[in-house]
Amino acid sequence: MRIVHYVNQFFAGMGGEDAAGTGPELRDGAVGPGRKLASLLGDEHEIVATAVCGDDYAASHPEFAAELVAGARERGAEMVVAGPSFTSGRYGMACARIAAAASEAGLPALASMHPDNPGLGEAAGTAVVASGLTARQMKDSLERLATAALKVAAGEELTAQDGRIGPVARTNRLADRSAAERAVDLVLTRLGGDRDATEIPLPDFDSVTPAAPIADAAEALFALVTEGGFVPAGNPDRLESARATKWVRHSLDDLDSAETGEFESVHGGFSTQWANADPNRILPLDVAREMEREGAIGRLHGEYLGTTGNGTTVADARRFGMEWAAELRQANIQAVILTAT
Amino acid sequence: MIWPMNAQAGLTRVVHDVCELDLGERTSYDAGRLTVGEESVLDLLRDPAFAEVRLGCTSPGDSVRIVGALDAVQPCSKGPGGGGVFPGLLGPAMPVGRGETHVLRGTAVLAAGYLPRAQEAVIDMSGPAAPLSPLSATHNLVIAWTPAEDADWGDVDQALRRGLVKVAAHLAEAALEAEPDAVEVLAEPSESTSDGKPRVGVILNLQTQGRFKDVFVYGRSLSGGLPTVISPTELDDGAVVSGQFGHPALKNPTILHQTHPVVAALRARSDELELAALILCPEPVNQADKELVSAHAARLCGQLQLDAAIATKEGGGNADADVSLKMDRLEEEGITAVGILAEMAGRDGTGPPLVVPPTKATALVSTGNYDERMTLPAVDRALGRERIALLDQASTDEVELPVAAIYCAQSTLGWGRLTCAEAEIAS
Repeated sequence: MRIVHYVNQFFAGMGGEDAAGTGPELRDGAVGPGRKLASLLGDEHEIVATAVCGDDYAASHPEFAAELVAGARERGAEMVVAGPSFTSGRYGMACARIAAAASEAGLPALASMHPDNPGLGEAAGTAVVASGLTARQMKDSLERLATAALKVAAGEELTAQDGRIGPVARTNRLADRSAAERAVDLVLTRLGGDRDATEIPLPDFDSVTPAAPIADAAEALFALVTEGGFVPAGNPDRLESARATKWVRHSLDDLDSAETGEFESVHGGFSTQWANADPNRILPLDVAREMEREGAIGRLHGEYLGTTGNGTTVADARRFGMEWAAELRQANIQAVILTAT
Repeated sequence: MIWPMNAQAGLTRVVHDVCELDLGERTSYDAGRLTVGEESVLDLLRDPAFAEVRLGCTSPGDSVRIVGALDAVQPCSKGPGGGGVFPGLLGPAMPVGRGETHVLRGTAVLAAGYLPRAQEAVIDMSGPAAPLSPLSATHNLVIAWTPAEDADWGDVDQALRRGLVKVAAHLAEAALEAEPDAVEVLAEPSESTSDGKPRVGVILNLQTQGRFKDVFVYGRSLSGGLPTVISPTELDDGAVVSGQFGHPALKNPTILHQTHPVVAALRARSDELELAALILCPEPVNQADKELVSAHAARLCGQLQLDAAIATKEGGGNADADVSLKMDRLEEEGITAVGILAEMAGRDGTGPPLVVPPTKATALVSTGNYDERMTLPAVDRALGRERIALLDQASTDEVELPVAAIYCAQSTLGWGRLTCAEAEIAS
């Protein structure tokens, strides 16, 4: 089988964070960890090309995946394999997205990352197998990836025994009895001594280690971001008032304040009356400009990023977070004020 | 022991089934057929906030979609003029839940249209979404309106709320002399049980987020208050009336308070347990107040000598905390806690199901995934709004919507059968 392998800028040998903004490209043959992978896959399969993209670029340009998959098809790819990406979030997201894009294009696909990688949620049902925590476990991770890739190439379904990871989908269905009747049943079951019966397994949430405080605010470049449904009046991007699936960006250049009538909040989770009376209550541009003039902060970034945080799925929120982080890093932002409502 | 004074107190519910509904010249009820006197109902709805009011009828199985459903009320009456039902709105603000109440079962008075902050709710009277909504199973009198020019939206909201309960009482009044289909005697909870049956309470969290997001108890908001114990029979008489229009699938309309499914399920199991208390709680918006209300509710449950309690919520992810915190505090008091919650697990059902899960308690019942999408086929006729603004489509079109938009599909008061389970693993 003709295989295209995906790696990020680091594993392609182009550099670390300094090269994270590099756009997508295809190179002939196997590159970096792909060489070892090629030997593990044996003579029946060949890595005909390596798809590469910088992590920040991939996080902020989701279309990179479709572009690379189209390029892979031109080179006759019959399967796409991505990673291993270990616990690197942006790399994991890129691997998941390219595997998902390949699946959508009808190619068998497989990605590899650690089960804690936040990119896992982006795989959209495409198979992902577990890797180790870091590149120190490259050898084992590649062996597992190769074994799984051989099964996928043979048209077999991967299971947990193959190291397949990823959340199991919970789907809606009609029960025989109403929720009220089932709640009463559950009371009696619990009072009868069963301490475990439940219909909803409790979720585990990620914990995020906060970045270290900035050394000197007067020297730092600040960005304002918000989940308060903050948009230019008239909501030109049609940002959703609930269950947002996207985020927006708008320029703050030449603005001293978020003036009434120029901006508004479309958030559906609270009364927007007071937000619209003074939009600075959602995005504190007036105060930020004042602090900029006083020299209390170094400089304010020329645009804001915003979405609506109201019934947003965790998967979407996580994606927004990774995309924002990549955008802000590319813009050399040192400090971010996220106004939450 | 001294037998508690209120041991024999309670409510006699006189039930009249409605199997047919139409508009006519005069309101009447005869052997299951309810005729709505158009002129008298429009008279009851007359208000300076309305330029025009329109009435429509629809029954289960019709190719009809109701768009913009707001509140729905079950007709009930204790006598001419309502006789005290819907206290604080229609009747005087005095305790209800005793004596005799006539109810029209199988029908609802429903308002549908635009209000600010009201998320668009959809009811299909037939098709794949019909099994999900309690209002797909009732014969509905649908009230739509055009607001008066320059009318304040708050006045429109109030006119609707008062109008709905007036019409509900008026319709039930037509059955006061009719032969009932059932007579149900509903006891008030007693202070303690001597026969060892477990005492189970119901914790009813009510949203308190201001205009268009509030629920009324005797006509008043619980905002800023502490938990309150009332008799479940007060619900039957309309002591709790909804004015909350967010999160359509999670909405608890007045009719589901009047017929509270958890209360009904506990009454149905009276041979095995005792419905011992109903505790109303506000859902404050800040964490410290949520903690206070939760700890206080758990302490009340302890004083009421409950063995277990079932907690429900109204609203989106924020209100998960109101259930989860109470479950944790109840478990600390040694009281078994069961919560009914909806899952918000993303379109593909792989996300974390809860926004704020409990940390000690674990017994949960699921009313399904809010984010999963459904395709609703085109229908012949729409009531309420002509377009679904959310989709910018005609209300009669085939539409794809998340379960979140289906009216009451996931109400944690527990009417529905919708739930969630792990998908079968592909073999």
